[in-house]
Amino acid sequence: MLALGAKSGEWGSPLVDIGLNEVYTYLTNACERRMAGSNLYTGTLDLLILKAVSWGPRHGYAIGRWIRETTEDVLVVQEGVLYPALHRLERRGLLKEEWRRSETGRDAKYYTLTAAGRRELRAETSRWIEHTRAVNRALAVAT
Amino acid sequence: MRRSFRFNHSKRDVADEIGFHLDMRTREFIERGMSVEEARRAAAASFGDVAAIEAECRDQRAMRAREHARRDMLQGLSLDLRVALRSLWRRPAFTAAATLTLTLGIGAAAAVFAIVSGVLVRPLPYHNPDRLVMVWLTGSEVHGSSSQLPLSAPTYLDVRHDVPALTSSAAFRSWSYTISEGNEPEQVDGVRVTPALLATLGVRPAIGRDFTDPDGTPNAPHVVIISDALWRRRWGGDPSVLGKRISLSGERFTVIGIAPRGFAFPRGAELPSGLQFPMRTDVWTPLTFGEDDLKNRWTLNLAAVARLRDGVTLAAADAQLAALGQRLDAQFAGGKGQIAMHAVTVADQAAAPVRRTLLILLGAVALVLVIACVNVANLLIARTSARARELAVRTALGAGGARLARQLVVENTLLAALGAAGGIVVAAFATRVMLALVPGQLPRADDIAVDWRVLLAAAACAVIAGIIFGVAAAVHARGAPLAPVLSGGSARATSGLARTSGRRLLVGAQIAFSLVLLVGAGLLAASFVRLERVDPGFVPEHAVTARISLPIGATFDPKRDGPAWSAFFTRLVERAGVLPNVTAAGAVSILPLTGDPESSGFAIEGRPPAAPGQGPGAEYFVLAGDYFRAMGMRLLTGRGFAAADRAETPRVIIVSRELERRYFPGDHAIGHRIQCGCDFTPGSREIVGVVDDVRVTGLGEPPAPAVYLPETQMTYPQLSLVMRTTGDPVGTIPALRRELRALAPGVALEQVRTLRDVFSASLARQRFSLVLIGAFAIAALALAVVGLYGVIALSVGERRRELGVRLALGARPVTVLRLVLGEGARIAAAGIVVGLAGSALATRLLRGMLYDVGPADATVYGVAALIVGIVALASAWLPARAATRVDPALALRSD
Repeated sequence: MLALGAKSGEWGSPLVDIGLNEVYTYLTNACERRMAGSNLYTGTLDLLILKAVSWGPRHGYAIGRWIRETTEDVLVVQEGVLYPALHRLERRGLLKEEWRRSETGRDAKYYTLTAAGRRELRAETSRWIEHTRAVNRALAVAT
Repeated sequence: MRRSFRFNHSKRDVADEIGFHLDMRTREFIERGMSVEEARRAAAASFGDVAAIEAECRDQRAMRAREHARRDMLQGLSLDLRVALRSLWRRPAFTAAATLTLTLGIGAAAAVFAIVSGVLVRPLPYHNPDRLVMVWLTGSEVHGSSSQLPLSAPTYLDVRHDVPALTSSAAFRSWSYTISEGNEPEQVDGVRVTPALLATLGVRPAIGRDFTDPDGTPNAPHVVIISDALWRRRWGGDPSVLGKRISLSGERFTVIGIAPRGFAFPRGAELPSGLQFPMRTDVWTPLTFGEDDLKNRWTLNLAAVARLRDGVTLAAADAQLAALGQRLDAQFAGGKGQIAMHAVTVADQAAAPVRRTLLILLGAVALVLVIACVNVANLLIARTSARARELAVRTALGAGGARLARQLVVENTLLAALGAAGGIVVAAFATRVMLALVPGQLPRADDIAVDWRVLLAAAACAVIAGIIFGVAAAVHARGAPLAPVLSGGSARATSGLARTSGRRLLVGAQIAFSLVLLVGAGLLAASFVRLERVDPGFVPEHAVTARISLPIGATFDPKRDGPAWSAFFTRLVERAGVLPNVTAAGAVSILPLTGDPESSGFAIEGRPPAAPGQGPGAEYFVLAGDYFRAMGMRLLTGRGFAAADRAETPRVIIVSRELERRYFPGDHAIGHRIQCGCDFTPGSREIVGVVDDVRVTGLGEPPAPAVYLPETQMTYPQLSLVMRTTGDPVGTIPALRRELRALAPGVALEQVRTLRDVFSASLARQRFSLVLIGAFAIAALALAVVGLYGVIALSVGERRRELGVRLALGARPVTVLRLVLGEGARIAAAGIVVGLAGSALATRLLRGMLYDVGPADATVYGVAALIVGIVALASAWLPARAATRVDPALALRSD
């Protein structure tokens, strides 16, 4: 059965889908994960962004505001740093982007969590919890 | 809603996004009570460096775009590949036909390319092989033969010391040894070399050490380097053989080194055949020059290889050698320009004799490949016509021309790739088969392999073929008008005049090419048949030969050892002559048809002496026993040698008819006395017999003057025994072996074969060319015929309606037959005419390879044209007959 699509659409039967897309994404993510692990700050920001988006599509400003408010201004972020992080996450396939009309009537770019993003969020969250638990334990030892 | 501005999309995108953020932040500050201006400034300050952030985001977008593009392309390709595989799988007949044709075509081409690459292209397995040269003497009139004569010891030393263009040089000569350790004595092919040989070639022994200068002095201890092959065969690769002493021809040699794997210089096929170097060398021993060697300027028995000095060209070395040659000429030959010297690169030396043949073969196989590709292209085009509907639907639904073209290109490249993969497997086998046709005679046969060059060539063929197929098919598909096809119109609508003529042209070209190949094969066949019919001067049937080499140590002195050799051969031949089933037995120094014999000048007593190098010359042979009768040679006048001709009796000689004709015109040679330069001792000999000529160098070469000397009066350590038998000649060999063992246990029989084998082997090179070009011609003709059948069948299919109408209107079936056959005949005729013209041009290339047949031999052309014509008509017959069976009612009704 031919699935009709646009000029660059699919013509083949999905039964035989090699899934090059996913393979490629996985490989890129694997590289990035290794690189991201080395910069604790970048990793933390990514984690917060993923969390912020987990309840539904948000635009960049909303994400930044949420981080500010929920961490009670403890994490003071140069707001601009947010945007390269958002683009990087989109490139890694963890976020999906879409231009929409915002509540103010102006167009804004909204980000949504993809399935891969959701998995990454879960994994990074548990890793963060383990990490902090371990550090806390170490620090709790009386000197 | 989506903004779809294309202009600077990404840049606008990032700026927009950040602009939105700043806007919102400003609002926040305004809500908190700041003024618009203050709010804006605060927003900008809390954001950070806007420009830098924007730039970084843009970089991310760019990288993302690149990654996505790459991913899309890969996906597209994998999709195309899947679809292509599926569509090939669904049409097994087509796929099999196309793949098989391509496999055979590319396979044959790759096989021939492998041979060409191994012999002509691959560098020789030595260090910087393009700097290595062979040095030769050229003699005109001297000794009857070639432009590549070996050097003598004094000449070689002159080259070594007086030619500064050559840094390093070595001389060598072939020397057969018998190894007699323990079990069976074995003949090994050896070479005696000056100590610098391996160093000159840039090769070091894999284990042990190379020769050094002290090894080359006359009384140095005997040392030997053995080949890797011999080491593994005889000593199982055991390194403890190093330092051991082994017995070679009765003398003890210490093994000092083992050559690297695959090293076997000199390889006989790469050097002039007359020098009788073996196919591969197994032992190297030092060559020393004794006093006699140094005095004897005109015993030519050394081949020389040298390395060009860095920065010196071959031309410069050649010039220096020419100057040396002139000096020698002035000193020894009266300055008449009869002696000269020159150098040839080792690669040229190996390749030159076969270069032309191989390139012709490459051209021939290229024609076959082209014909095969055209057939496959036609198959594809026919199939594309059948898929016209599918492609029309796709186009109507929006598939772009480029997309469809890419799909078709992938399909066809896949087909070509399958063909190439199969072709490489075929090539590996075909190379072995082709090499089996010329055992031992093809230079650099060891260097032929299916290596990266061959794989690359096969891949290149496949890629080009795939692209051509795809483009042709895509062009064809584009041209199909959509409407009639979609509405159900059949192939009737899809063949424009241009396309039909194109197909006809291609088939015509195929027929022309195959005719050219057929004419070539025909000429070679005619030449071969004529060569085979040449009277060799002896009777090849019912005779067997074996070579026997007496072990000669490094210090060999014919005067001292000669009588022992004579006694041995005399007794052996006597014993062989009385074996059951043997009617006559004899022996000779060099068998006919086995290469260039030794030759020497001679002087006729009673005539004024000629200047050296200018007098009469003849090939000389040493005989033992009843040689002429064993060979079936005709004795014309006088007598053969007898038991009475011994060392102490008057010295005698027998001459050939050609010698008598040339040097004793109108007179009888018998009774005259001549002094042969080859004699070890001075003094003339009386001519006692004249024997008919035999072909010595080859069946196609006219016989040269020859003289025969009895072994008892001119001792020789190596003779080929010939036995004429009743019944199967090979059956007498075991008995001969027993006699030999009884006489001399350390001596082995070599090269046992029948005279008929010797005769056949001398035609091996011609047979090689004939078989290959013949095979190519047949393949080409078969492919062309299939192509013609296809075109005619397609044409009949397209004209069903018209033919149906004709038949319905009363035309006789014969008329329809003639109509269709006429179409086929026209194409075939055009192809034949062009093919004949092309043959006339192409066969000029065969000039040197034909014997007694001109390249424009009318019979061959006529027969070839006739064959092509008949076969072509036969192939058009089938669709023609089908055409007469068209049911008019059905044809009129169908669409």
